[in-house]
Amino acid sequence: MTDSHPTRRTLLRYGAYGAGAAALAGTAASWDRLTGADIPGRNDGSLVVATLGPAYGPEAVRTLTEGFKQVHPDIKLRINAVQAVDWSDFFAKILTQIAAGTAPDLVYVATEGVQLFAQRLGVPLDDWVKRDAEELREYFADVHPSLVESMMYEGSLYQLPVEFNAADMYLNHQVLERAGAGFPAADWTRDDFTALLRDMKQASGSQFTPYFWTNRLWGGVVPWLFANDTNLLAESKAPGGDWLWDSFYPAAAREGRGGGYRWTTPQATDARVEEAYDYLASLVQEGLCTRPEGGNGQNLIGVFSTGRVGVTPAGGFWAGGLHLAGMKGDAFDVQYFPRWRTQRMQFGAAGYALLRTSKRQEEAWEFIKYAARRDTLTRLFSTNQTTPARRSMLTAERYRETGPEHWPVFYDTLDKFPDTGPIPAPPQVAEVEQVLLKHTGTALASRRSVGPALRRMQGDLEKAMERDV
Amino acid sequence: MTNTQIPAVRPQPPAAPPAPAPRRSARDRGTRLLATLFLAPTIVGIVVFTVVPIIGSVVLSLFHWNVIDDPSFAGAANYREAFTDSTVLVSFGNTLLFMVLAVALQLVIALVLALAVNGRMPVWLRSVFRSAFFFPLVLSAASISVVMKYLFNQDFGVVNWLLGLVGVAPVPWLTSENAAMATVILVYVWQQFGFSFLLFVGGLNNIPKEIHEAASLDGATGLRKHLGITLPLLSPTLLVASVVGIINALQVFEQPYVLTNGGPGDATRTVVMVIYESAFEQLRFGAASAVGVLLFVLIMAVTALQFRLSRRFVHYQ
Repeated sequence: MTDSHPTRRTLLRYGAYGAGAAALAGTAASWDRLTGADIPGRNDGSLVVATLGPAYGPEAVRTLTEGFKQVHPDIKLRINAVQAVDWSDFFAKILTQIAAGTAPDLVYVATEGVQLFAQRLGVPLDDWVKRDAEELREYFADVHPSLVESMMYEGSLYQLPVEFNAADMYLNHQVLERAGAGFPAADWTRDDFTALLRDMKQASGSQFTPYFWTNRLWGGVVPWLFANDTNLLAESKAPGGDWLWDSFYPAAAREGRGGGYRWTTPQATDARVEEAYDYLASLVQEGLCTRPEGGNGQNLIGVFSTGRVGVTPAGGFWAGGLHLAGMKGDAFDVQYFPRWRTQRMQFGAAGYALLRTSKRQEEAWEFIKYAARRDTLTRLFSTNQTTPARRSMLTAERYRETGPEHWPVFYDTLDKFPDTGPIPAPPQVAEVEQVLLKHTGTALASRRSVGPALRRMQGDLEKAMERDV
Repeated sequence: MTNTQIPAVRPQPPAAPPAPAPRRSARDRGTRLLATLFLAPTIVGIVVFTVVPIIGSVVLSLFHWNVIDDPSFAGAANYREAFTDSTVLVSFGNTLLFMVLAVALQLVIALVLALAVNGRMPVWLRSVFRSAFFFPLVLSAASISVVMKYLFNQDFGVVNWLLGLVGVAPVPWLTSENAAMATVILVYVWQQFGFSFLLFVGGLNNIPKEIHEAASLDGATGLRKHLGITLPLLSPTLLVASVVGIINALQVFEQPYVLTNGGPGDATRTVVMVIYESAFEQLRFGAASAVGVLLFVLIMAVTALQFRLSRRFVHYQ
């Protein structure tokens, strides 16, 4: 073993290294954490509004920005159109922005995320609504209370709905004629629906599927649960909300309203849920409808417009979609969802949620009011890519070019069926939707697999609902 | 013939005193500095984008974090959950099954096609085949999967339409538990085998022709030559192709996510899908990190096992 002693030069060198490292560590420790907001140009004092990219094209962004500038030239506005495939993907990206320190001031949020944002991120609009009640009276008079109620959480209002889409039934006239069937009546039943699908199947070739549906929370299996007078999660209403109903709605419209929906105990093993799944499984087995995994919105317009599908659930957004795909307004039409035990239907709505982290909350409120104005929505929704939340905007003139003939169905789904409600979307919505999609696929493999799959769904839903978001 | 006795231990000369370490010249120091400068971007890149995220994931796996609130210490709770959650366990099973089938199929197809392309054929045709087999690899996996989803749609897909022309009933390519995994593997292999194919073509070109000629003179023919000569000499390339193939297959995400979204049920749900869903859909970043760490350990273990086994099966010239 050698006994070496460090030289003076070595000691000095290591001393210098140590001092350098200590200086570097000290400097790093004394800095504030860098976030995305530190990137030059990010934090320029603008009011930042995050919207779902595909729904808000450049034209819509320009409409919003330029219109708002005319009304509020002192507020700098930046629309951040986030590209996402669906609401779940959109929320994930918004949350990533929040984690990165670049939270927007306002986020466009659909029913799927209303309670998640309200519970964890949102600011109630109650005080502003009360303050500007006179200004908003015209808005609430024009918007169905069910839409407003769907934007409430535990007694407070978190968004002013600007659009919605109810799950109605679109029918292809070419397919109806081929089957020798007439357009169904408004009070058609589930049995009428099944008979129509059989007629369509019989009259068409093997490359034809009468009923096309998409496995998702909106427009999937849930409308059938509603029609069978049940739901995936037990539904109730939170107390409160009188401050809003008493101020803006007449007594008849106030009846049964509360402080927003509560979705709590999973009930996937409920007999009526099983019955609804069993019915859909029978349609799949009979070749009358697509399997849940087979359907997706991407190819739906193509197969519907070419007559390879006869019936599908969709909302007002499809009037614009089919028109853009070249389908004439008289080639299709829309009817209410068929009656089973009830004719309660399902909708999803959207509006702007104000985030707690926003330092421009007054300006943000001004934008919320501006975005809910009739003239703003008229310019924004000029192509019928959705159903405006304002009843007065649904006119014959609006649907003259795109169709469908029975366009009043869109708003009458709310007006004539006041129990029509939002999709079940508790704060744990992401996991709930994932569980629903997963087990719906398994449940519809055959009629025998319905029961076991729903029992597994029940277990997974219970776990999901127990988790704190 | 002389019979010389070689001593078992040669007498060693007396040990010389240790020479003083040569002092590095200024030129050596300059070369080292230059080398360090050239390596620095890569080292910084690996540290920032690989080492730090790995350490970050390990740390995060010990916390509950939902992005919105501050993280809270969870100890081993996320790992305990990973080992008991049926979806996580099924996803590991699916991923391992996918890895075995996809990599085996990928290597076999790539090797057979590489041998075929290396055979006698016009140079231009060889170029066409090489490009055609490699081309899918340069496309985005997500876009390929979107197209394949249309092709394999049970009700409206081209594949079932073509089968219908010859009287075959519609096949539930993506909607039955058994067929879905097979279809995802087929789509994955179709896109990925080009990489192994290219490695094998290069490896085959490096085998000296003289060895094949000598084997022919000894009477070896087709399959015998490939089993006895080509495969052993190609074994280092096979090792590289299989290591890369297995690492990629264990991280498969795009194809099952786009084609089946993990369904029907959990039939095609992979580990990386579970990580994505836990983190970005359910906001459970700690749980997602724990599964990520377990996948990292699995990949390390499988790769280490491959290198260990390679001592037995890989022959270097």
